[in-house]
Amino acid sequence: MSALRLQHIQRHILPENQQTMAGSLGTLTTHVLNTGMGVPAANVALVLYRQDSSTNAWTLITSGTTNDDGRCPGLITKEQFTAGVYKLHFETAQYWASMGETSFYPYVEIVFTINDPEQKYHVPLLLSRFSYSTYRGS
Amino acid sequence: MAAAVSSPLTTHVLNTGDGIPASKMAVTLHRLDSELKIWNMLGVGTTNEDGRCSGLISQEAFTSGMYKLRFETGSYWESRGQTSFFPYVEVVFTITDPGQRFHLPLLMSQFSYSTYRGS
Repeated sequence: MSALRLQHIQRHILPENQQTMAGSLGTLTTHVLNTGMGVPAANVALVLYRQDSSTNAWTLITSGTTNDDGRCPGLITKEQFTAGVYKLHFETAQYWASMGETSFYPYVEIVFTINDPEQKYHVPLLLSRFSYSTYRGS
Repeated sequence: MAAAVSSPLTTHVLNTGDGIPASKMAVTLHRLDSELKIWNMLGVGTTNEDGRCSGLISQEAFTSGMYKLRFETGSYWESRGQTSFFPYVEVVFTITDPGQRFHLPLLMSQFSYSTYRGS
């Protein structure tokens, strides 16, 4: 069995590992998909910010990189996840450049409002070289 | 009128939640000053009845560089008495050949949006 296949299976049957590592399952998740090639977008650098409600400045919460499945677990802990305006910044042009491709967008930023931090929020990014989309998923 | 005819950059905002063009939405165009690393606002407009906004920039002003289109989507949904997940949408793109035409639509609902380089 390949190492990658083993990794996939472990993720499905041992979800508590994720919980222990991140401190919580995380109430905010993302998933980056390369729709141009029909694969998860791995090794995409991303940064999560929250906007300071008084100064409007962006505070860095986490920076990370998507894994082989295009996901980035442990974006934010339950304690950090308060109501407010957040921004996910994805280094998309860097991602395309690493594959020798150009792209129309130097990066993608998605700004969204969290009113109820008790809920689960999934904010995927579907990406090709000349298009992208996002939505509140699950 | 002349600006609308020769506009090298156009946009079209569609409210996919209701299946209608998104009219009366404020849109601003900015270009990044590559030395100072600040955004300069170049043009401001409002989408018409068909959700379109042309004349944001003239052919002469349209040089190579990094641009940003900012759509006041949150205000749009508010004006319709609806909430939205996104307070606004900013699309940042790179123009390397300003001789071409660029059409950047925004398809949006209260909880999703997509954009692409169209024609």
